[in-house]
Amino acid sequence: MKTKEDFPSINERVPEGQRPDGVPFRVLVVDDSMFVAKQITQILTSEGYDVVGQAADGLQGLERYKELYPNVDLVTMDITMPNMDGLTALSKIIEFDKNARVIMISALGKQDLVKQALLTGAKNYIVKPLDRKKVLERISHVLSK
Amino acid sequence: MRVEYINPFVESAFNVMKEVLLADVKRGELYLKSTSMPVMGVAAIVGLAGDVEGRVLFDMDRPTALKIASAMNGEEITTMDDLAKATITELANMITAQAVTKLHELGFRFDLTPPAIFTGDNMEVSNQDVEALIVPMETPQGKVEINVAIRERA
Repeated sequence: MKTKEDFPSINERVPEGQRPDGVPFRVLVVDDSMFVAKQITQILTSEGYDVVGQAADGLQGLERYKELYPNVDLVTMDITMPNMDGLTALSKIIEFDKNARVIMISALGKQDLVKQALLTGAKNYIVKPLDRKKVLERISHVLSK
Repeated sequence: MRVEYINPFVESAFNVMKEVLLADVKRGELYLKSTSMPVMGVAAIVGLAGDVEGRVLFDMDRPTALKIASAMNGEEITTMDDLAKATITELANMITAQAVTKLHELGFRFDLTPPAIFTGDNMEVSNQDVEALIVPMETPQGKVEINVAIRERA
């Protein structure tokens, strides 16, 4: 999505996607929509995050997480996906790593599933359409805890 | 078909397109079709099944689809490739999800199918036993028609 904020900032500051020492946070993006995955990746990389992996369904997401672990700081997880849905993948990731930081990406109208995800251990959620500001806010909030 | 089914789709199409295209969207005059009608070239379809059943079609011509996909991706897309299709699918997804939330609030219960995309020339769509309500939406990228055919389950 094109927004004014996509233009680079000329002010000097540490991008949100990096720790104070300049090492970027590592994110795994799990989404079956090529468009959404690309959108999240663009938003995150523009802010200094390192998207270390992408997966097109929950099963792939779980496998990628296990491969990357412990070199992954955050997962963005779509809810509705083929093969394995985001809720199942979330609970399996948490089973594997109880400290996993997973943020759910949801379409509007999935409140029940979002609630269930938060109870299962998701740290936060973002409702589509994705807004750059909202995405960055939620993610940096989860990483700051 | 009762108009209360279509209003949530019109409202959410208006809201979502305004948000993702960052542009003014105008709503045209609603019309009713009970016979088959042409499809413009790129159509995303979402099926509904539950208390109400039917389908919603988001219909546009190819140049409009490419311009919308370009605007949503912030880059020029010139062919109806996988990314363009994924983008139009996601647009249909977001509009439907928002509309369905409103319909659920009104007390209707039903499930959705994942969106599918049709592309091609000289296509038409027919609905047996259910008339379609169509709302044209004018965007800077071109016209998108929201074509809703829903009935209560007998």
